[in-house]
Amino acid sequence: MKRLAPALLLVVATLIAIYVGAAQIDNFWSALISPGSNEILWQIRIPRVTAALIVGASLALAGLLAQGVCNNALAEPSILGTTAGASLGTVLAVITGLAQVGSIGAIVCGAAGALAATSLTFKLANLRAHLSSFALIIVGIAVSAIFTAVVGLVSSMVSRADARSISFWNFGSLALITRENLVGISVTAVVGGIIAWRISPSLDRLSLGDATAFHLGIDVPRLRVVALVALSLLAGGAVSTVGSIAFIGLAAPHIARFIYGPAHRTLVIHTAIIGAFLVVVADTLSRSIAQPNELPIGLVTSLLGAPVLIALVSVKNNVWKTQ
Amino acid sequence: MITIDEITIVRDGREIIYDYSEQIPAGSITAIVGPNGCGKSTLLAAIAGDIAPNKGTITIDDEHPILSPPAQLARIRAVAIQNQTYSLGFTVRQIIEMAGPSDEVMKALELTALADRLVTTLSGGESQRVSIATAIAQNTPVLLLDEPLSAQDVGSRKRIIELLQKLAESGITVVVVAHSDEAELTWADKVIKQFL
Repeated sequence: MKRLAPALLLVVATLIAIYVGAAQIDNFWSALISPGSNEILWQIRIPRVTAALIVGASLALAGLLAQGVCNNALAEPSILGTTAGASLGTVLAVITGLAQVGSIGAIVCGAAGALAATSLTFKLANLRAHLSSFALIIVGIAVSAIFTAVVGLVSSMVSRADARSISFWNFGSLALITRENLVGISVTAVVGGIIAWRISPSLDRLSLGDATAFHLGIDVPRLRVVALVALSLLAGGAVSTVGSIAFIGLAAPHIARFIYGPAHRTLVIHTAIIGAFLVVVADTLSRSIAQPNELPIGLVTSLLGAPVLIALVSVKNNVWKTQ
Repeated sequence: MITIDEITIVRDGREIIYDYSEQIPAGSITAIVGPNGCGKSTLLAAIAGDIAPNKGTITIDDEHPILSPPAQLARIRAVAIQNQTYSLGFTVRQIIEMAGPSDEVMKALELTALADRLVTTLSGGESQRVSIATAIAQNTPVLLLDEPLSAQDVGSRKRIIELLQKLAESGITVVVVAHSDEAELTWADKVIKQFL
């Protein structure tokens, strides 16, 4: 039952998310099983909820990879500079007219920005030929600050309409999702998810430290590069489509680890499910609490995820030992 | 057979090992001893392929550890480092099975009762035995252990030494960094104490 509970909760949350909204859906169940029968359901709600599922799973997996590859409980895409890099890549693509928010072009530019920023963090943290978790986190925060500042600078230099749309997107929103947007993030999520699944046994060994992982046959630098590419695809795809959604990358892997233990193969599935659940619930709340206004989804994910995480840490705190 | 051929290792501008040669026979226990900072762990790390000598070569049979891909090297030698730490709460069994089958080695090192305990909750001595067990479970012809007895009580030391002797009799080459007086090293077939 414990294994299936998050998946069952996700199914229920997804159905509620599709049902709830400003407009009432007549004959909900029959509309649900007849594709295209109800325009609001099939053109707006289902694409939006599907995007929430994919974005939640992607950000959660990106967080799992960040924590696994840094062997650090604090690592997550926003701390390693990945999120800020994805934002800058997308903003530059949008304001130069190279791509529109949510398009495949924006996703490619977002993933490229994410990869550039994360690579820069790893490169700078490794300057003294020894990659420590401490250096990664400090350098990651600094790189993130620089990329975020550049996003702010660029936003202030463009026209007001552009700046407003960038700032709205930068706080995180699923409001602009269309069925076309889903193709790009589905591809990045599937590719990133497959890579995460393939490297998960190696991440288990990496938790014993770089030296012991190497002794057990892991090519540690290669593993880091592969994880970095997957992490950038997952976070880049999500951020370039819906903006920055706080807390999922940190909270979902920890919640999954507290429930299911530290083995990464199990965690890949359960972290994705929990991340998807958190974003679906947060999106449903963000568009229904203050109708007709819509709250930034990042606010709701923080308010939702943080208490759960604090409760789990206070109940059971020997899953991640800090020495 | 491990062959060390005229190696020199310089770290932080200091020669730790200078023009040193040695042959470590297969199916034996070799103890590397010496005072703190004399380069015992550095020599073990060079044999393990962790660091490259500035000059000279090391071979395990015909393999050069420093040139071998990690997966291939993991089939030749296993290593238990000094002060292994565990950041994630895997169980003892899960940790050992990252290297190979666990039942037999857990029994030999008296870890069976701890099989389902989280490694993050173990004492120093228990944690050290998990590290040794993981290296042994890797089932390689060469076993390299850095101070494996430092956190063990008298009974555990005796049992670990007997296990190492059994492994050596079965043909495994065991190299141990030890912090003991030479008089205590009656269990070693060979003692290395001078490599500068």
